[in-house]
Amino acid sequence: MFLGDIPEAAVWAIYFAPMVSFAIIAGALLLRVPQFQDQHASNLTIGAIGISWLLALWALDTSIGADGERVGFDSHLWMELFELRIEFGVTLDSLSALMMFVVTSVSLLVQIYSTGYMHGDTGYRRYFMHMSLFTVAMLGLVMASSLLQLFIHWELVGLTSYLLVGFWFDKPSAAAAAKKAFIVTRFGDFFFMIAVVLIWTKTGGVFDIAEINAIAEHHELSDSVLTGFVLGIFAGAVGKSAQFPLHFWLPDAMEGPTPVSSLLHSATMVAAGVYLLGRFFPAVEASPDGVHTTIAYVGGFTAILAASMGIVANDIKRVLAYSTISQLGYMVMVIGLGGFVAAIFHLFTHAFFKSLLFQGSGSVNHATGTFDMRLMGGLWKVMPITFWTFLIGALSLSGFPGFAGFWSKDEILLDAWKYDKFLFVIGVIVAFMTAFYMFRVIIMTFVGEYRGGEESEHGGHGPPHESPRSMTTPLIILAVPSVLFGFFALNGFGTFLEGSLPEEIRHFEFKLEPVVVACSVSAALGGIGAAWAVYFFRQPAPEQLGKAAGPLYTVAADKFYVDEIAEDGVVRGALDRVLGPAAAAFDKYVVDGVVTGAALAARQVGDMARRLETGQLQAYTSMSMLGVVVAVAVIFVLSGNVLER
Amino acid sequence: MTITLAHYLAVSGIVFGIGVAIALSKRNVVAVLMGVELMLNASNLAFLAFSRFSGAFQPGTEPLAGHTFVVFVLTVAAAEAAVALAMAVLIYRRRETVDLDRISVLRW
Repeated sequence: MFLGDIPEAAVWAIYFAPMVSFAIIAGALLLRVPQFQDQHASNLTIGAIGISWLLALWALDTSIGADGERVGFDSHLWMELFELRIEFGVTLDSLSALMMFVVTSVSLLVQIYSTGYMHGDTGYRRYFMHMSLFTVAMLGLVMASSLLQLFIHWELVGLTSYLLVGFWFDKPSAAAAAKKAFIVTRFGDFFFMIAVVLIWTKTGGVFDIAEINAIAEHHELSDSVLTGFVLGIFAGAVGKSAQFPLHFWLPDAMEGPTPVSSLLHSATMVAAGVYLLGRFFPAVEASPDGVHTTIAYVGGFTAILAASMGIVANDIKRVLAYSTISQLGYMVMVIGLGGFVAAIFHLFTHAFFKSLLFQGSGSVNHATGTFDMRLMGGLWKVMPITFWTFLIGALSLSGFPGFAGFWSKDEILLDAWKYDKFLFVIGVIVAFMTAFYMFRVIIMTFVGEYRGGEESEHGGHGPPHESPRSMTTPLIILAVPSVLFGFFALNGFGTFLEGSLPEEIRHFEFKLEPVVVACSVSAALGGIGAAWAVYFFRQPAPEQLGKAAGPLYTVAADKFYVDEIAEDGVVRGALDRVLGPAAAAFDKYVVDGVVTGAALAARQVGDMARRLETGQLQAYTSMSMLGVVVAVAVIFVLSGNVLER
Repeated sequence: MTITLAHYLAVSGIVFGIGVAIALSKRNVVAVLMGVELMLNASNLAFLAFSRFSGAFQPGTEPLAGHTFVVFVLTVAAAEAAVALAMAVLIYRRRETVDLDRISVLRW
């Protein structure tokens, strides 16, 4: 639009810039270069991601100039194995350009924030190394043109998530959370892998995403194959985007450093599942109705389930984590309803304001030494920047009219209104709950009297104070998109975004349905008002409310026992008691059995054969003579009488 | 009656059989060695007979392959007898016996 078209090399450079910084930091750490200081690692990472960000802006500009249509770049042969040709390339269309922009901008701000938050940590350089690697993986994921390329980066993102959640690995809870995050998402990825293999065998080796979409759209695959494929990638998305029933890893992933939660577990990585469904949206659209309904209802159920847990959690980061699950549920739901634009638009705005909220919670933690909201309160006086930016993020998330979250949530509710009234009702209830728990957080954290924070290891924490500028600057910058980016809805954002879809399935038009807007606004304002009534005026007091809700409160506070079912039921019950012993038995009796059996057989044959070694010379001679006789007899039988010839 | 190859081979076979019988049945090492000598000489006889009666025979162009073998066998047999008798003597010195049934140390 403003600049010329971006060359392919520059798109690749978006991907390779953070990889270079990763390689340099990794090399310096491996070789223990003494001159390599902490600030070198962070400067390198920030510089590399800054370059990526500038180039991503250029890519976005090019994409806008092309109306979001795919800009043709050749793919490159990566490896060839008989008939199997694996090609890698970059996709540049509205979806990938937008994602590159989101990933690089949030990542850049998070890195700047991290220089303050992680200051003085012994693993500072390792932290930035992992962050660089994550950015590489995430960029590779969103720009991949081949399913296999996407899958590789998908797994790489999972790996970096593991490394970063378990960053403070000497803390047992962090190590356990990292394992949980990795294994639970891997469970979904397993089905994704099946989908990859399925599409590979059924299409005869087509990996190109656009081609797969075209094949699916023209119904060249049977319904059952398409159903299997779409459900497979959906299962991958369920794992990565923390949808029910694989949602329970995300709250535990909050054990990682807060900037990690801000980047991976709110803005980018967990949105990868939604991105995946968006990338294969033509295939999803072409799949049978039952698949759509499944996706939509899983999303809707997740949204309301997670929101109910968000209301009762006392840890500020956990509230935000449940909120993330809930908002991702929204996106998945609307993808199932056919609302491609609404889902990606919400992903886009959510990335900014949720990242802002997480960074705000990190800033609060920096001041009080705790994440427990019961120990906070009254912080708005001492941390004005954190408070005002957090308030903007909360208003945006609650869908307060005019803020970014309002516009994108409105799109979602509009699609729900059009296609499924039941999910619309769920959506409005979730919107109410979202506003309620966000203002519960605001009131418990920033309003009222300070309740002391937590004693840190070095004695008292001292009075809370505003965070350093490296942390508040990203907060201020992120507050801008949290307000303004919603207005893109009025400026043909949907039309631009639909440029990445084939023409036949574009159906977006921007309009404000008065009923939907009324419901959404009243839910937001009602939620905010209810939170003030309960937590500020205590009319009714939260304790009474909890008692009135009775078992519902207990069940929600206990996270609906999903963790228990997963850990005690599935892991300790099914895996430890049944599958584990079965696998051990298989290993012991079948695998080891073959090996020891072969050895035993050899030993017994040898034992029998050695009985022939009597030491009796004449026994040997007899056998040898017998052998000669037999040999001669055989020759006679086989070739007739030798003497006659 | 002309004497044919079959006659020679018959004699050779009989002698060889006697040699095998001695080698397998005698307990005395020296007797066994004598049996082995009989077997060797039986094969020598067969060699010479084949050499004499082979189809390629023409007077004056008699092939010497069989004879060569015989010379080799005689040489080796002489050497073998020397070594084997020396061993028999040594075994007798150590164990006071040359009974093969009792010399069975190399066993499982």
